[in-house]
Amino acid sequence: MKIEFSKYVPVGISHREEVQWIGTALLLAFFYSLKFFIAYGQGYNALFYRQNSQKIFFQDAYMPDFVVLLGHSLTGFAIIALTMLGLIAYHYAFHYQGSKSIYLMKRLPSRWELWRRCLSIPLTTMLLCLLLSILLLLIYYAFYMLITPAQCLPPAQWQTLWQVWMGGI
Amino acid sequence: MLEIKKVSKYYGTKRALDQVNLCLPQGEIIGLFGENGAGKTTLMKCILNYVRYSGEITLDGQPINRKNIARISFATCEHSFFPTLTPQAHKEFYQLHFPRFDARRFTGLMDFFALPLHKAVKHFSAGQKNQFEVILALSQGADYILMDEPFAGNDVFNREDFYKVLLGILEPHESVLLSTHLLEEVENFISRALLIRQGNIVGDISMLELDESGKSLLDFVKETYHYQADRVRKALRDLTGEE
Repeated sequence: MKIEFSKYVPVGISHREEVQWIGTALLLAFFYSLKFFIAYGQGYNALFYRQNSQKIFFQDAYMPDFVVLLGHSLTGFAIIALTMLGLIAYHYAFHYQGSKSIYLMKRLPSRWELWRRCLSIPLTTMLLCLLLSILLLLIYYAFYMLITPAQCLPPAQWQTLWQVWMGGI
Repeated sequence: MLEIKKVSKYYGTKRALDQVNLCLPQGEIIGLFGENGAGKTTLMKCILNYVRYSGEITLDGQPINRKNIARISFATCEHSFFPTLTPQAHKEFYQLHFPRFDARRFTGLMDFFALPLHKAVKHFSAGQKNQFEVILALSQGADYILMDEPFAGNDVFNREDFYKVLLGILEPHESVLLSTHLLEEVENFISRALLIRQGNIVGDISMLELDESGKSLLDFVKETYHYQADRVRKALRDLTGEE
């Protein structure tokens, strides 16, 4: 099934350009999220020292909490999602540029045409940001739980994550 | 029949329309005249539901909504086309959204005005943009064609040609509500004149009645507006001190 993106942007806006910009932004947000692995690597390396190329774990060594290592890794997606509010405003305002095509859009028999064109891509991107954030959160969490040696794993990581996030709100 | 009953519109505390009552039957070309800010544009915006108003506007007894809005088209001097699109792309867009779009009329009018089909409208001259705006309104397949000063920026030859074409192409079921300041130009081409002042309809006369009374449209407007013929003389006397 081929999606005709041109139906989902205001008439006259290049859908290709818009999709490319959003795709690039999502990719950058993804790359930024990889900094979790840098933090993880630093935390992991602090758990042990090497003796004759053998890993010797410090006594009572614990990995930092997952939420600490995660830090602001997923912030990029939140920023993109917020930017989409601006894109909605831009899409609407576009109908006032060079003419008042808003007059035509508002009197189309199809009730949702204007809103479909103004909202579709921003809302889809917001949803995509949410889904990617959840997916990456789960992947990074699974990585944290599977790779961290059991004796170094602090307890109740999932609860801690939510406690910190909810406390932050 | 487009019926406007007790329609009022306020912008903040400023009254733009005051209890306007009007009946616009099908098959008429109606001139809407009035000074700047009299309420001409606001009246059209109310008909098209662009602004909230009090009162009632119906089309054949039904409120104007998405089901019947395609029966009304609008040409405005502010332009409602998409500037980056070509006329050909506009045609496709209109065909998609207005089932009664008249492609034959569109092509005929494009040819008549010698407008290019494959050039973005933003590259048109001011006059060509107006022509294109009007072509779209006439081709939509609407029964009521609202035109809000559509010829601002067009030269007199263009306007003259346009009136002739309009008279020639309009079907008996099509009505035009034309807001303009060009009284003398449209005098022979409209069938009825409406005068609006400070949000009130202060004059409503058929051109037949006007003919019978032996008055010109300009006389009628001046009379209805209580035009002070000696205001120029007074102003000059005050300014120059000369009699």
